[in-house]
Amino acid sequence: MDCDQNERSLEDINTVLEYAKLELSDVKPTVQCIYFSQQLDNQSFKLLELDDTVLETLTNGEKVVIRGNTDDMAVLCTQTNTFEIKEAEISNSMLITPQLDIGEDVDDSGPQNTKVSKVISVMNNYYELRPCKPKVAKLKKLLEENMYSGKECEEDEQHQGHKYCFEDLLNIVQGSEVEIKESLKKLKACQIEGLWRVLDFDFLTQVLNHIIQLCEENDWLSTGIPLDECLETLGQLFPREVIAHVIDCYANEMKSGGGQGDHDPDDQPMQIDAKFFSLSEDKICQFFAELVLKNSGKFNLKEFLKVWEQTVPQGMRTSLSQLEGIALIDRNCMPEVIWYFPVEDLPEDVGERFNTLFKTREKWSLAEISPYIRDLTTLKVDVGGLLTKYARASMMNGIKVFSSRKPVT
Amino acid sequence: MYFEINFFPRPDSPNQCPEWAIVDLQGSLETRQPVPLGGKFVGDLHFTKQNVPILIIGHHILYGKIVDMEKPFAVIVKDESSETATDRDTDKNTSVNYVVKALIKKKLLFKQRPKPIIANIPKKL
Repeated sequence: MDCDQNERSLEDINTVLEYAKLELSDVKPTVQCIYFSQQLDNQSFKLLELDDTVLETLTNGEKVVIRGNTDDMAVLCTQTNTFEIKEAEISNSMLITPQLDIGEDVDDSGPQNTKVSKVISVMNNYYELRPCKPKVAKLKKLLEENMYSGKECEEDEQHQGHKYCFEDLLNIVQGSEVEIKESLKKLKACQIEGLWRVLDFDFLTQVLNHIIQLCEENDWLSTGIPLDECLETLGQLFPREVIAHVIDCYANEMKSGGGQGDHDPDDQPMQIDAKFFSLSEDKICQFFAELVLKNSGKFNLKEFLKVWEQTVPQGMRTSLSQLEGIALIDRNCMPEVIWYFPVEDLPEDVGERFNTLFKTREKWSLAEISPYIRDLTTLKVDVGGLLTKYARASMMNGIKVFSSRKPVT
Repeated sequence: MYFEINFFPRPDSPNQCPEWAIVDLQGSLETRQPVPLGGKFVGDLHFTKQNVPILIIGHHILYGKIVDMEKPFAVIVKDESSETATDRDTDKNTSVNYVVKALIKKKLLFKQRPKPIIANIPKKL
């Protein structure tokens, strides 16, 4: 027969205290008698260990979601962060008590009295959160299933792959909204008719060339590209969303407003809200380097530099620093060569990334390797930290170089 | 798979969440006979004037300490009311929501070896 939870008397309690050799004066007057609840249930809920950011998010009433597919691990996302959810099992027994007075909550004076407290569950496990980065490689793969080549091509054989909206991407690529948006920006993805697409390189080349040609014809390189006019002119060839996207990727908005050229004050007053963009020299030069190197294998460096300079729009200056993270140069062979080696095509996993880098080149200087690992840094681990963990430093010709810690597979 | 987690609103203070506690014991509790634990008495919990928790379970006395958990626990329960089919048109997966029923920020940790109480002392008359 179960105990009546009100039956425990002060006499019983004090007897036990006496046996335990404790004086009434040692303890506070309130004694909490702990019982298992009649409905003791160890399955009805889960314990989730909270990170500061998650607790704050929940308290502010903002959205916290759990996402995952059957084959993936589940992740927890706030608007801005992603966490892996891992189950932890412990050998301790955690008695869950909804009502328990602790420490200072218990009066230290007054007559002796009892309180009942019920244990509703005994738990041996909980779920912990580990911050992680969203799987951007997955996003890239999804978007590459159907790359955009222009409106006319949408129905053809090469464009039968799946197309995704933002909602789809959130659910498949486990990550927070803000992180997915950032990744889409990094991948230079464009929203076309509500669906997120990446432009195939040839198509992008077409669009960019048209924009540059228009700039050269209208002297927009010095005065800035008037967005509306550009959209109007090229809107017959390409969707406006695409033109605006390409301008956004390869030009910077001019804050003070452009059109500073030969502006006749008697003409219509300049619209205050007209947007002007100036092409980014670095980004345009990078694009043309990519264009030249992409399908070329190893290119003679001297020749490349000549071709590159001739390809970029007049007035723009090329510089090797623009090629960081895009191409590798081998100065040890005769003649010196350069080849296309973009960081976006490298593995996302840190160990695999270093393995690939060391497979490509045995020893790297800090300047050479940094552009290829910068995207892996976190708030806690910077480039130096990554190198300390995954590489071995040594000296070569007076310069510090990094090589693999273990045999390269 | 997609779940949303929300705070369980308390009628009196909508932004606050009830706080529960944990009594953390090393090992597991057993009864002499294999009977269900529901309703059974566990033990007396005392606090000394210095707020040291003392738990007396059966013939053992356990000294513990109050721990402010570095990472609080959220007690998460499935929100039964949300388990209805969603948009039939889009054929999306039914989304189930979880609710945070309570937060656990403190626990009483008893990790010292329990001391036996000698109970053969005759009761005082």
